[in-house]
Amino acid sequence: MYNFSVRYHDGRLSIAHDATLTLMPDHWLIHYRDPSGELVSARWALHSIVTDENFSNLFIFRYGEFPQQTIECKDDRLPETLKKRYSEKVFFKRRITDIFKLNNTTIVGVALAVLALMGLGYWFGLPWLAGAVASRFPVSTEVQMGDTMYENMIRAYDVDERLTAVTSDFAKAIDFKTHYPIRITVVKNKEVNAFALPGGRIVVFDGILRKMHTKEELAALLAHEVSHVHYRHSLRNIFRSLGGYLFISLLLNDVNGVVTVLADNSNTLANLTYSRELETEADSKGMAIFKANGLDLKGFVDLFTVLKGEHGDVEALKLLSTHPLTEDRLRAAAAMVKGQGAVRDDGDLERKWEVIENELK
Amino acid sequence: MEQQETRQLTFHGEGAKLFGIYIVNILLTIVTFGLYYPWARAALLKYMYEESEFEGSRFTFHGTGKEMFIGFIKAIGIFLGLYAILFGGILSQNATLMMLGLAVFYIGLLLLIPIAIHGALRYRASRSSWRGIHFGYRGDRKELLNTFIIGSIITLVTFGIYGAWLIIELRKYIFKNLRFGNITFSYEGEGGAFFWLNIKGYFLTIITFGIYGFWWVKDLFNYYVNNIRMYQGETRLAFRSTATAGGYFKLLIVNVLIVVLSLGLATPWAIVRTMQFVFSNIHIDGPLDVDAIIQTEADYTDATGEDLADMIDIGIV
Ligand SMILES: [Zn+2]
Repeated sequence: MYNFSVRYHDGRLSIAHDATLTLMPDHWLIHYRDPSGELVSARWALHSIVTDENFSNLFIFRYGEFPQQTIECKDDRLPETLKKRYSEKVFFKRRITDIFKLNNTTIVGVALAVLALMGLGYWFGLPWLAGAVASRFPVSTEVQMGDTMYENMIRAYDVDERLTAVTSDFAKAIDFKTHYPIRITVVKNKEVNAFALPGGRIVVFDGILRKMHTKEELAALLAHEVSHVHYRHSLRNIFRSLGGYLFISLLLNDVNGVVTVLADNSNTLANLTYSRELETEADSKGMAIFKANGLDLKGFVDLFTVLKGEHGDVEALKLLSTHPLTEDRLRAAAAMVKGQGAVRDDGDLERKWEVIENELK
Repeated sequence: MEQQETRQLTFHGEGAKLFGIYIVNILLTIVTFGLYYPWARAALLKYMYEESEFEGSRFTFHGTGKEMFIGFIKAIGIFLGLYAILFGGILSQNATLMMLGLAVFYIGLLLLIPIAIHGALRYRASRSSWRGIHFGYRGDRKELLNTFIIGSIITLVTFGIYGAWLIIELRKYIFKNLRFGNITFSYEGEGGAFFWLNIKGYFLTIITFGIYGFWWVKDLFNYYVNNIRMYQGETRLAFRSTATAGGYFKLLIVNVLIVVLSLGLATPWAIVRTMQFVFSNIHIDGPLDVDAIIQTEADYTDATGEDLADMIDIGIV
């Protein structure tokens, strides 16, 4: 039969009428008795009936201009009957939100599967995406960006012009196998440190130079930093943390503060892990440069020994540091030394190192 | 003694369903690079309304993703404009331009607050209905803007003290202009009482190392609810809160445990608990004829204010 009991609101008054809906061939007929006992009916032309998309098991339909009339029906047979009666009009479209009408166990199951997928995307997809985006970034823009960063930050430092000149001269004697314009600046600072900016700018603190004893140590440091430049580690790092930040903020948009803080911190931790991976990569690519130049890999071992002596090796703290454990790097470098064949003693490079040593005195 | 007529809202939402909605929303938002966000918000609001019941009938949110998407794009445009001015000023490396950019940016943000409140109220009210009767907001944007600007300046000059009066004044204005069909509202709070409530709450919370905070929150909630009045013709109805500090304490502690122990995954369950707490503690006292509310309000579909308010993170009502 084509009769269903429904609740009807006429859109003018807040009274809820218990009504009967009759499905006529080209319209719906709704009739009810109003409080005075009079029989009232409403006619809904088929083409203007709108199905309300909701999450509950109540079927709601609206009709007409604002303010609309509404009927609510609880009868499970309604969708099936509508399909049979009106083959030309679709009342219930399939929607992704239909899964909310399933039972709760299914919903939670689906949700957990989706969560697992998102976790995979975060841990593996994001770094991959960061690399892909970074590799498509034009070199000229990168150089320009790095130079702007350099201009802004170098003001905070005291540049040592003469050391800069001799160190740059030293670097020219090594073939770093990169198309980036490598430009080295030495600044006066006791800290044992050096860093690379995107696009080829490398800043070396004279503190680290004073700790060095051989040309290979300086060569190792430069090779490591040049690898950061060549493999666009800064860009990859920026895109990775930016992506992570976007991901987290999308994920937690409407969620409260506690979770945001928790998630922010774990994102920072993930970023650190990622930059440690990049450090390890810079080490191994730097060593490849050494091999190509016939330089003695012992330079890396000595460099890490200097770093280790300087920063100590408080394991607990290092867990959060951006560089891999110096101990691990030392071990990796020592292993490489064993596998190295003949080394060339580069007289030219040696002379340039002596110039630097003289300048340091 | 005469038995007072009283009514309550009930919330039927389930954590699992809300969880599912969140997950699907997040996934689609990520896959579409954020474009799905307005549809996600519409779905969430629709669900929350649908699960809210009064006198045997559920509420309906009529807003659509499409409306909210248009508002979303406009709101993003407004923000981009403001940021462009800010960055333009900074990049110019000129001190005057930089200060100017900064000033325009912050004043712009400040002005956006009342504009967003106004737009959000108009949109949200118009898109909310119960038994086919729509809510409405009849406030005037200029009037709200004036109240807000003058109030902000006085608040600044009085080192924040006037803030309490400003909040009450804004509430009064909003409720005065709120409609539910032919039902009207008012807010009866007073700046002075609200100010002392906050002073007392602030100092006692410090003295008791935060423990009094639960009473403070309860007092603020009660002050909000207990001062709302609703009018149907000549009949006056009063809102009454039954929230207690103990109730707040239990709600908050359990919610924090739920959220932290699940690493945030169970947040929807905490939200459901909060909704149930709020609804179960609000009573509407007085003789209301629930069958005689007359449709009065016009349609309003511009969601820009709603989206702006969401972006600045203003919670309304
Ligand atoms: Zn490094």
